[in-house]
Amino acid sequence: MRAFIGEIAESHIGALLALSYLLFSAIFWAYPFIWLIILSFSDWRFFDAPIFSGLHNLVVVLRDPEFWGGLWNVVRFFSIYFPIAFVGSLGFAFGLKHVGRGKAFIALCFLLANISSGVAFSLVFTKLFSSTGPFNNMVFSWFGFRIPWMSNPNLAMLAIALVVAWKFIGYYGLILYSGLQTIPKELYDAALLDNTPPLKRLVRITLPLINAQLIMVLVFTILVSFGIFTEPYLITGGGPLGRTNTPLMIIYETAFRRLQPSHAAMMSVIVAAVSYLLIRITRTLLEKDVKLA
Amino acid sequence: MITTSLRKLAGAKSAGSWLISLAMYGLALSWLYPFAWMVMASLKPTPDIYTTSLFGGQLSLGNYNFLFSSATKLNRPFLGALGISFGVTIAVTISVLVTSAFIAYALARIAFPLRERFRDFLLLQMVVPTMMFTLPMFVLIKQLGLINSYGALIFPSMMSGWGIYMMSQSFKGMPQDYIDAAKLDRARLWHIVLSIMVPLNKSIIAIVALFTFTGTWDNFLWPLIVISDVDKMPLSVLLATFSKHYGVYVGPVMAGAVLQTLPLVLLFIFFRRHFLQGMSLTLK
Repeated sequence: MRAFIGEIAESHIGALLALSYLLFSAIFWAYPFIWLIILSFSDWRFFDAPIFSGLHNLVVVLRDPEFWGGLWNVVRFFSIYFPIAFVGSLGFAFGLKHVGRGKAFIALCFLLANISSGVAFSLVFTKLFSSTGPFNNMVFSWFGFRIPWMSNPNLAMLAIALVVAWKFIGYYGLILYSGLQTIPKELYDAALLDNTPPLKRLVRITLPLINAQLIMVLVFTILVSFGIFTEPYLITGGGPLGRTNTPLMIIYETAFRRLQPSHAAMMSVIVAAVSYLLIRITRTLLEKDVKLA
Repeated sequence: MITTSLRKLAGAKSAGSWLISLAMYGLALSWLYPFAWMVMASLKPTPDIYTTSLFGGQLSLGNYNFLFSSATKLNRPFLGALGISFGVTIAVTISVLVTSAFIAYALARIAFPLRERFRDFLLLQMVVPTMMFTLPMFVLIKQLGLINSYGALIFPSMMSGWGIYMMSQSFKGMPQDYIDAAKLDRARLWHIVLSIMVPLNKSIIAIVALFTFTGTWDNFLWPLIVISDVDKMPLSVLLATFSKHYGVYVGPVMAGAVLQTLPLVLLFIFFRRHFLQGMSLTLK
């Protein structure tokens, strides 16, 4: 009887604990979400009550060349960032497998970049990339010219991609490495007996068996491409000529500089929907349930 | 002779593996170059930063002095900002850890009605892109009258669905015997969570702590939006505005970057073992 009472009380406590989080979510998750929807379909300038304006915001946003420029910059960033991050993290994962002693030390060196400050290192890399900075001094002493990192749109994008890649390669690499660890060694022994060439081993055995981890890295790179703010804001400020303006920067400028929060709300909804859909499509197209035997 | 001993040191088998190991060590050290450059630049007078070699030149703490004395006269109170960053970050981290541990225990170990629905809800929240919430969250904070207050930085992050989920996954894997034994001793809930679950799940707690701390400490967009009063800015935003207006003071900016980085690096080094173990848990 006593145990019975105890169990009833315990399930009540469990429900109360869950409820406390639901209450928190109602205030800081559901309520803002409702506001986002209201703002997207109304006219509001931070004061008074929002006035319903139908699809007006959608029309304004879709006619805004800067918004399209921001989405195009996501594509430009991704097409530079993804190859660097993907090859880099794959190289890291394979490299780490060959290391005997000091695996943890190497992993920690790379991960240090991942947990350290985005704000601080945006400033540090701005100095490193500057025309008189150490990178350019080295290039100048070797080749006799300086790289215009900040005045050329593609180089500016490359600079941002390199900084973000520096931050994430260790993390992605560790994800891939954990996938490599699960592949049974016998598979490679069998392949060696059959004299399978290394490239074929990679494409036929290794990559399919770490499919789940590869997709995870791909999804992360897509999320980063849509979500970067600190690095472009501090390194290039969106320039030159808005060619490194990211959607989050445009949303921020629209809401708090041009004081058009309802346009910014519609932009947030569109950008979030596009990124969500892209990730769903990536998953359905590429995710395969690979099983051993 | 040297190569064989080096090979032994690296613990590798073939010459190819040995070369790869060496390359990995080299890469790992070069990954730390920006850290080294930042620290060295913060110790040199601004005119020397671009003209001296990495470890060359006169070193002094002048830039730090400038940051804590002269910068205050330029209306950039760095000492205060450092305090605010610590206060806000520690408050958020402790709140997230405590709430996550208890709710995660409920989710993993207590049968309550609609428990599976609750889990689904957490998963749903993690799928919805967070970038959408920044603007309407500003509206909420404005309605609550919290603009330019520390509450704006603390309240929205006091609980974490991700933290609850990660901890509950780890709590689920524990043998029930531990909990049954504690219940026989009539241990109360807080006792079970704090003296059984927490010590036996240190790795995942370290991961949640480290990511929460880093995310709050280094958050930039959110405080940029809700704090405009220079006296209430956390270090991340104050450093960015300082760099924007006084960017020519490269030395002091780098000293500020060191301040912004140091707590994260120390925490990381301190918890490194738990962190690596926890990483392998989150990657399952």
